[in-house]
Amino acid sequence: MGVNRRSFIKYASLAAAGNAAGLRPFGALNSLAQGATDYKALVCVFLYGGNDSNNTLVPFDTTGYGSYSTIRGPLALPQSGLIQLAKAPNFSLNGNMPEIAALFDNNAAALVANVGTLVAPTTKAQYQTSGTVVPTNLFSHSDQQLEWQNAAKSGETQTGWAGRIADTISTSYNPNGLVPMITSVAGDTLFCNGAASTPVSVSPGNLGGSSCNEGATECAAQQATAQALLQFDSGLSLVQQDNTITKNAYSYAKTLSDAVQSITPITTVFPSANGLAAQLKQIAQIIQVRAALGVTRQIFFCGVGNFDTHSDQVNLQGNLLAAISPALNAFYQSTKELGVSDKVTTFTMSDFSRTFQPNSNTGSDHAWGAHHIVMGGAVKGGQLYGKFPTLALGGPDDSGTNGRWVPSTGSVQYAATLAQWFGVAPSQMSAIFPNIASFGANPYLGFV
Amino acid sequence: MVGAGLLVLAGCSGGGSAPVANPLVTVTGATQLRLGTPQQFTATITNSSATALTWQVNGITGGTATTGTITSAGLYTPPAMIPTSNAVTITAIVGATVPFQGSVSASILNPIPVVTSAQATQSVIGTSYALDILGTGFLPTSQVQVGGSTAAATYVSSTELMCTITVAAGLTTVPVVVTNPDPGTMTVSSNAQVLTVKVSVQTAARLLDQATFGPTLNDINHVQLVGTTAYLTEQFAAPTTVLPDIATPTPAICLNNTIPCEQSEWWQAVLTGNDQLRQRVAFALSEIFVVSTNSVNARSVTTYHNTLANDAFGNFYTLLQDVTLSPAMGNYLNMLNSYKPGNGQIANENYARELMQLFTTGIYLLNSDGTQQLDGSGNPIPVYTETQVQAFARAFTGWTYAPIGAATSKFTNPANYTAPMIAIDSAHDMTAKVLLTGTTLPSGQTSTTDLSGALGNLFNHPNVGPFICKQLIQHMVASNPSPAYVARVAAVFANDGTGKRGNMRAVITAMLTDVDARAADTSPNFDGGHLREPMLYIANVMRALNFTNKDAVAGNDVVALASYNTVGNYTSGLGQRPYSSGSVFNFFSPEYVIPGTKVNAPEFGQENTATAVLRLTLANTLVYNGISNFNVDLSKTSALGIMASKTGNATTDSGNLVDALGVMFMHGQMPSQMRSVIVSHIATLTDPAMRVRVATYLVITSSFYKVEH
Repeated sequence: MGVNRRSFIKYASLAAAGNAAGLRPFGALNSLAQGATDYKALVCVFLYGGNDSNNTLVPFDTTGYGSYSTIRGPLALPQSGLIQLAKAPNFSLNGNMPEIAALFDNNAAALVANVGTLVAPTTKAQYQTSGTVVPTNLFSHSDQQLEWQNAAKSGETQTGWAGRIADTISTSYNPNGLVPMITSVAGDTLFCNGAASTPVSVSPGNLGGSSCNEGATECAAQQATAQALLQFDSGLSLVQQDNTITKNAYSYAKTLSDAVQSITPITTVFPSANGLAAQLKQIAQIIQVRAALGVTRQIFFCGVGNFDTHSDQVNLQGNLLAAISPALNAFYQSTKELGVSDKVTTFTMSDFSRTFQPNSNTGSDHAWGAHHIVMGGAVKGGQLYGKFPTLALGGPDDSGTNGRWVPSTGSVQYAATLAQWFGVAPSQMSAIFPNIASFGANPYLGFV
Repeated sequence: MVGAGLLVLAGCSGGGSAPVANPLVTVTGATQLRLGTPQQFTATITNSSATALTWQVNGITGGTATTGTITSAGLYTPPAMIPTSNAVTITAIVGATVPFQGSVSASILNPIPVVTSAQATQSVIGTSYALDILGTGFLPTSQVQVGGSTAAATYVSSTELMCTITVAAGLTTVPVVVTNPDPGTMTVSSNAQVLTVKVSVQTAARLLDQATFGPTLNDINHVQLVGTTAYLTEQFAAPTTVLPDIATPTPAICLNNTIPCEQSEWWQAVLTGNDQLRQRVAFALSEIFVVSTNSVNARSVTTYHNTLANDAFGNFYTLLQDVTLSPAMGNYLNMLNSYKPGNGQIANENYARELMQLFTTGIYLLNSDGTQQLDGSGNPIPVYTETQVQAFARAFTGWTYAPIGAATSKFTNPANYTAPMIAIDSAHDMTAKVLLTGTTLPSGQTSTTDLSGALGNLFNHPNVGPFICKQLIQHMVASNPSPAYVARVAAVFANDGTGKRGNMRAVITAMLTDVDARAADTSPNFDGGHLREPMLYIANVMRALNFTNKDAVAGNDVVALASYNTVGNYTSGLGQRPYSSGSVFNFFSPEYVIPGTKVNAPEFGQENTATAVLRLTLANTLVYNGISNFNVDLSKTSALGIMASKTGNATTDSGNLVDALGVMFMHGQMPSQMRSVIVSHIATLTDPAMRVRVATYLVITSSFYKVEH
């Protein structure tokens, strides 16, 4: 049965490769040429803390499930609770993700197996050989979050890959943009920061400007004076930096609140008391007013935390997945309502996956390669991309002996595939993804 | 009247018997009665054996409030103020078969003033001195002369007068004369001691901005008078404001969720505690040794905060050990109930990894100035390997909650949120562990021995000083300390001068008194400082403007009512509530770099175009007295309101107001350009309260304030 699972993936990968090899570059060029007439958005959902992929996507065939449950011991999910994927029957999703399973089976979502931070394709043997260049500080939350976001070898690279996309193409695509190409609804993150471009940050549900109680006349005057104070050059670095942020804040708040003033509310129901849903709902609203914002390309960042399940994992992760699955689905449904479901591609990122071997505290520890979800009308859904690891401690995919999978696909490939769809031309790829050349002539994964 | 009485007595005793001497009563006592000083009168009876006496003032037994009262023993108490006619008659009536009486006339006079001490203290705002005269016998009409000139005196009470005076440079005393007016005018001379401040407003206010939850005018004044060193000494000695355990049974307001009770206690401590430096250091420590009520019980967090506060000035090893064994940290990073790994398992690495990465060494080997060591290829050098993480993880197995009461201990014990964790050696991994710098914990050691071995191994790692000291500086003084500054403080961490490592009191002193920390006292353009994170921002503004808690003012039980919890409602939109970081990586990373720059500025991790707008709204809420359950007086009768309208000259009043705000919020270092823009704006407003609100809003929303520097 392991062979079957492998061959399925191989098939998916070949299909992806075939597609990407011929058509994608021209597609990218065409869309670039079209300029501002179409619209595309990328939505990054960051699962902070390191989501345990091993309990997100689980083998379902007898052999696969058997080896899974033996090694995972106390962390193994009962097979009866898993949701078998109709389009990939050897696999199943965590029972808390029925919405994602349905999207997958309806070709609106795909899964990418064992993706992780890599500088170049790396085998287990290479990893274990001293001198091989691998990403710095594997297994450290902060560093791996940064490296997923900057697609670089170390967290010290101060621009994110979305930020670099904005640096590269926002003039072409958003020449009349009133807000930056990138919007974050989960605070400032490296992902969003370019060398020249910075994101607009939005607090979900708080799109407008600041409140003022002094009455219209004085409020306007007060705001004018407050803004005038931002113009002084105090010569102090941090004061100057805060002046810049605050100036932008005044400007973006006005643009956004003007834009949403007379829109029809989205009717898709988002789950309540769900942090990710609130963020995604805000993103949907901004997509709705894209024309008023003067943008044809947007990248959004949102995130949800607490995936660092060193103990009580089955329970904790289950609750988290049970929250993100309906939130993602509601967002997909809202893009259908807005008529942009094939123009919006949503994808997950996370620090890392977790050790396949359980710890002695009903949890798991920091690992490496992880499985990720890509969702949207443009996604070639219902398929698993990449290469699913052999679930064996000390096996061919284990970087050591605890089930920390050496990624078979680089996160930079995952990012570049999304960027290619988004409209980054082949000639622009190396500036945005300096390591991409290490992954061969066709590094793209073809899932969108 | 007295004469008439005698006549009556004479008439009654006339007759045929032999003449006997008339009974007499003679009243003696002072004829000058001073307000505020009781006077004893005495009646001497002759020619009678009668003794019963009744005392009257102006013919009324016992007297009145207007003319003064007299007891049955003849003790006269003057009225509160001089009556219209200040002459009184004190009469003693002897209750015999035939009553007889005697009287004396007296005048009520103003008291004699007495000065017990007088002190002229240089004011925080402006160049004047506040003269405080203590003594007795003062009146609203008392006059004060200082150095021969009359000074307008404010009557505080009969024991205190205050004036605002000027003092010529170099004087250590000034002559003070207090005169009470007629009737009975009386003068007293004294010398007021002139207290010249030891440090400038700039130094005092900047130190307080770094060392507390925000300067107040009182604290600025105090630090100016005692100086930096004495202030730090006082603060090191100040007892810890202890957060009480959340009561059992749970207070009604926290029945479903104990977090508001815990957070209320924290806000109360930081806003009102006298141990400001301790609380501020504990806050910095809480952002290094992070626990969060997102996943740990709030009952364990009050204990945890007390641990940080109690250990803030002690030894870093003690702090490390207490943090490690705290039920809050045990829970948060899973050292609690971490069992020795069985077959097919590894030990839970959570605490081991973050203890090294975040609490002690960091990831890379550091130089003593906090910069990274580099290998021959120019790459940073990791401190530890994955294998060492697992070794530490095994060293930390075998700990569970302390048993409750006399319960028998087992692995695992039920929750005990207040006592340090305890070891159960049967749950401890006893294999050998290879730690850092070649240290090995031999096999067979107990949980406790392994724990101290592991903590000692980390405590003594040379990275700890620069790693921790740099972060303390970033939290309290400057985002970008120079390597030399870090090195100077880290050197004190390594050796406090007596050969001791990890002396936190010495480290904090070195940090706050360092030449780089103090540079901007006199050079406002010295490029340093850090952004006020949301919780500091709101606390700073609330303390400066003297926000008071309504329940506290009403005398209600603020702990049971979680009365201070409301403050956090105004910072949560900005990404912060006490002890509720999203992860052990704190609300922001010490390494955060402002986008598009090379500027390292941790707190800017939470400053973006969304939160900048929310902060403007918060400033509006603050100046509009909108913080729920709190009150601030910025009305026209408040101190600032009076300042904003005192002379009636819009420019003068506005200037005085903005200068006062400049002291309260900007260490008296508001740039002149900024001052003139705010003054000309608010001078156009006519309502003094509005002037105060708008001026305060403009000050506290400026980046020049948001960035404490």
